[in-house]
Amino acid sequence: MIATSATLLAVDLEVQRRQVTVRAGFELDAGERLAIFGTSGAGKTTILESIAGLVRLGRGTVRIDGQLVAGAAQHESPLPPRSRHVALVRQPTTLFPHLTVEQNVGYGVRRSPHTTRVAELLDRLGLTSLARARGAALSGGQRQRVALGRALASPFRVLLLDEPLSAVDVAAREPLRALAVETAADRNAVGILVTHDLTEAQAFGDQLGIIDAGRLLQLGGAHEVVLSPASRRVAELVGYGGFVAVPDRTSAWFAVHPDRIVLGAAPERGVVLTGTVLSTRPFGPRYECSVRAASGEQFSVHLDEAPGSGFECTVTALDPPVVAD
Amino acid sequence: MTTNAPAGNLATTGVVPGFPTATRVVARGSTVLALLGALAMWLALLGPFAVLIQHLSFHSIRAALGPPGALDPLWVSLGASAIALGAMVLLGTPLAYLLARGRLPLARIVELGIILPLMLPPLVIGLLLIFLIGPQGTLGSLLADIHLTGTNTFFALVVAEFYEAAPFYVLGAHAAFASVDPRIEQDATLLGDRPLQAFRRITLPLSAPGLATGLATAWARAIGAFGAVIIVAYYPRGLPNQIFVGFQEFGLSGSLPFALLLVVAALPLPILAYLWSARNRARVAGAEAP
Repeated sequence: MIATSATLLAVDLEVQRRQVTVRAGFELDAGERLAIFGTSGAGKTTILESIAGLVRLGRGTVRIDGQLVAGAAQHESPLPPRSRHVALVRQPTTLFPHLTVEQNVGYGVRRSPHTTRVAELLDRLGLTSLARARGAALSGGQRQRVALGRALASPFRVLLLDEPLSAVDVAAREPLRALAVETAADRNAVGILVTHDLTEAQAFGDQLGIIDAGRLLQLGGAHEVVLSPASRRVAELVGYGGFVAVPDRTSAWFAVHPDRIVLGAAPERGVVLTGTVLSTRPFGPRYECSVRAASGEQFSVHLDEAPGSGFECTVTALDPPVVAD
Repeated sequence: MTTNAPAGNLATTGVVPGFPTATRVVARGSTVLALLGALAMWLALLGPFAVLIQHLSFHSIRAALGPPGALDPLWVSLGASAIALGAMVLLGTPLAYLLARGRLPLARIVELGIILPLMLPPLVIGLLLIFLIGPQGTLGSLLADIHLTGTNTFFALVVAEFYEAAPFYVLGAHAAFASVDPRIEQDATLLGDRPLQAFRRITLPLSAPGLATGLATAWARAIGAFGAVIIVAYYPRGLPNQIFVGFQEFGLSGSLPFALLLVVAALPLPILAYLWSARNRARVAGAEAP
């Protein structure tokens, strides 16, 4: 893979991990952010650890700013992690337990124009009152804030985030995510977030990568990938809950997303489906109904009101993507 | 709904329906027995120290330790043990670290090699050391080239103490390093530390309580080493040898003052290390920095 001059991070790697061979290839320009979304054990963390230099590549290369930092060949001796200008927030969170919160956050601060002042970071992370506390006294969410602060304070060019906010209250995540995005943008750095929360992934990334069983199945714009999944597996992973056979085609399916369905027949907006409601359950402020289509397939739909079981309904799946197995 | 349960509930009566009172009495009795057993064990371990204090008199101490040169065994023991301890730290720390991080090939064989001196009786170690470093030994002639003699010298004393005590330090250090999550070290290197910096700033402080305990145990074993020492280094006479010779020549009154000296010389470091370790562990686990 040849990187262009604007490319800050170029990854083309293959790593053998336990039962899975992880393969991934992508390039990120300075200032770009990628979210990698997939199930547990899909190989998300391995990609981050390979970039950071904590895992040896089986094949391929990692380049940062055009410089080869890791390669599988003997003559491609890897650049040590400390020289890569990579910041990594890991899952589960690892802090330096003998140091205070302030010392943890300031650990990687070197004399650098990129260095953010620790006190300012502590303030934005909501950790000022805990500056002199040690790790053992912190909750899971507070530990994650410290780990994020420690990464953001270091002079990074590549920011790697492995489920960094999973223990933080949902309501408090947005400002922390914004802080990470803002800091990466200030440094003109690239950011990679791995998560199994699609909302989180879309909120962070300009680009979204879908990984499954070690393979990066699709990479594209954060919204585009969800609206146009490249395969049935990608569609399943990004939340399409039903697949209805395309008439007169074999192994081709309309992917039906529960949030992209409206009641009633609107053929100009998509595919009209009829079916019977099998069950209904609360789903946040709405209801999730399981529907059996007239053609026999089952799909889910999110509605504002709860129809009873056995209710015969007609719905329109809005521009459903057609996917193959 | 009606039940056959007695009136009241667990919170108000403390009685679990159907749980016989006799069982609770037995449980309470077992706890008391366990406490008594623990107390007896503690007293049994302290017994020799109590007897030592009881049987010593100021007069006997002055008589034994007063003459010129009487304290020489103390200085010999302190010097030899300090050098042996230094060698253990210098050679044993990298070995323990590499072993704890799984970076040594044939790790099980290496571990066995560390444990082997512990399994051999000290007297046997002494005999084998004569074959190894004695004048006719495998390494003896090499040592002679650099003017070192492997029997009845200060050097031989250091070597004998090293063999008796080093496994305690290496095993203690191995456990201490293994208790530090290697991912924390990786984090330090990602934040710009060289490996040695990460070791100094992260690994060492976190493993320090365990290292101190291992060091203190090794110190106590080194300064009290006798079995191997009496075979390869009868001279220069350290404290354990002096106690043995005093006992043979003058009985208890001639050996007890030196025993007290040995205890006084050997114990402070382990006790200080224990107290420091306990305080340090509490500090790391605690909420606020001092």
